[in-house]
Amino acid sequence: MEQSAASNAKIEVRNLTKKFGDLLVLDRINFNIKKGELVAIVGPTGCGKTTFLNCMSKLTDTTDGDIFIDGVPADPVKHNLAFVFQEPTALPWRTVAQNVVYGMEVKGVPEKERAERLEYILNLVGLKDTADLYPNQVSASMMQRIAVARAFAVNPDLLLMDEPYGQLDVKLRFYLEDELVKLWQTLNSTVLFITHNIEEAVYVAERILVLTPKPTKVRAEVIVDLPRPRNFLDPRFVEIRRQVTELIRWW
Amino acid sequence: MAYQTVKARKSLKLRVLPWLSLTAVILIWQFCVSPPGVNDWRIPGVLLARPYDVLLLGIEKLTDVNPDGATLLVHAWVSLQESLSAFLLSLLVGIPLGLMMGWFGVVRGLFRPVFEMWRPIPPVAWIPLAIFWFGIGMEGKIFIIWLGGMTPCIINAYMGVKTTNPVHIQMARTFGASDWKIFTSICIPSALPMVFGALQIALGNCWTTLVAAELLASDQGLGYLITAGRSIGRTDIVVLGMISLGITGVIISQIIYRIEAKLLAGIRR
Repeated sequence: MEQSAASNAKIEVRNLTKKFGDLLVLDRINFNIKKGELVAIVGPTGCGKTTFLNCMSKLTDTTDGDIFIDGVPADPVKHNLAFVFQEPTALPWRTVAQNVVYGMEVKGVPEKERAERLEYILNLVGLKDTADLYPNQVSASMMQRIAVARAFAVNPDLLLMDEPYGQLDVKLRFYLEDELVKLWQTLNSTVLFITHNIEEAVYVAERILVLTPKPTKVRAEVIVDLPRPRNFLDPRFVEIRRQVTELIRWW
Repeated sequence: MAYQTVKARKSLKLRVLPWLSLTAVILIWQFCVSPPGVNDWRIPGVLLARPYDVLLLGIEKLTDVNPDGATLLVHAWVSLQESLSAFLLSLLVGIPLGLMMGWFGVVRGLFRPVFEMWRPIPPVAWIPLAIFWFGIGMEGKIFIIWLGGMTPCIINAYMGVKTTNPVHIQMARTFGASDWKIFTSICIPSALPMVFGALQIALGNCWTTLVAAELLASDQGLGYLITAGRSIGRTDIVVLGMISLGITGVIISQIIYRIEAKLLAGIRR
């Protein structure tokens, strides 16, 4: 079993490098995430955020370096990884409840535990009343809540979220961000949240990693030690948002 | 608050229109064909039977075996056995094969070249070989009809898997789903609308091939009824055979449609 250098981190990313031919996209990225931490990643458009997340989830092979979960190289079969995509991923032939249960089915969660967790998570995200409807019968925000509920339901070692609310309007986004924070706090999950929206990052995250343009590295780490629920008008909130903006601005 | 599913009802106009057009076609047809023995400006009865005469013949043929040797129900039953056996065989072989060709490279590599060579050959071209292999019994006809039903099953199932939303596959992969799990839980359900499309096309192909297959020295079946009518110059028998084929096809396709509506509740509009 391979053991990474660092020790008490839940997730360790070591020298993560990705090349497409001669194009270097990710250049030796290093960072750790503690258990139960919600980390946001922001960066300029086209810096390779999605490639980075695809490498993290093992959807794409890395050119060099690796990701360790509890000291072991990450493997979607061994570990509980979950991914919330920007696009709707609810399976149209399954009802809301059957969609939420899908990840647990794949992970082989026993049926009794599956039913208990399903009921708990449906209540938590407010999908209980729509449990028997099909995705084409619910709203866009509910579709994304299905994906979020499905991801949290497997008690993931690492939950990766790729701009999950990027396609929703501002009001729904605020609502779902609050819901995400509630889920994360209740279930004590480890979450890596990618967004191009700096305000969203400051609102949900405990720590923000700012990426550089390609070839991408971690430019800076910003600790967000604000109390919750957070207030967009809090001068400290505004100051952190300004600080992150300064770090990623290219103009 | 529990969410209620509201069922949209078809408007009266949409429910009445199909019956209206059908009735209009029958009335025009009845009016444009001369009755037997009458010689006027209309289409002579020897070239096309009137719907009313066909209806009378249909009632008579429920019990009368003359002049073609069997009642209408016996002809229909024989054709149903042949075409449904062949249709089910097409589904049983074609759909799993097409689905697996869409997902597993090895299956695609093994079967695609053979399929591509076999596909352009019309099923009727196999009739001489079918006679050598199976004789002139029901098996030979089932074989010919089966060939006609296979192509849409394979193509649609294959395309159904190929057009699976890649984000659904990625989502399953991030949960650690195996190739087989992705195939069964994502690709197959996602291919179902195309597969049900194949069922309808295959059914059409099977009925079309049926008449050709019943040219194989049959003495019963709706295809035979048509050829028997032609050989004795009775257009009413020909039309009765054609209409019986049409009605039986509609009934089967309605059954498929209802099964599809139940299974694809989340996908169909």
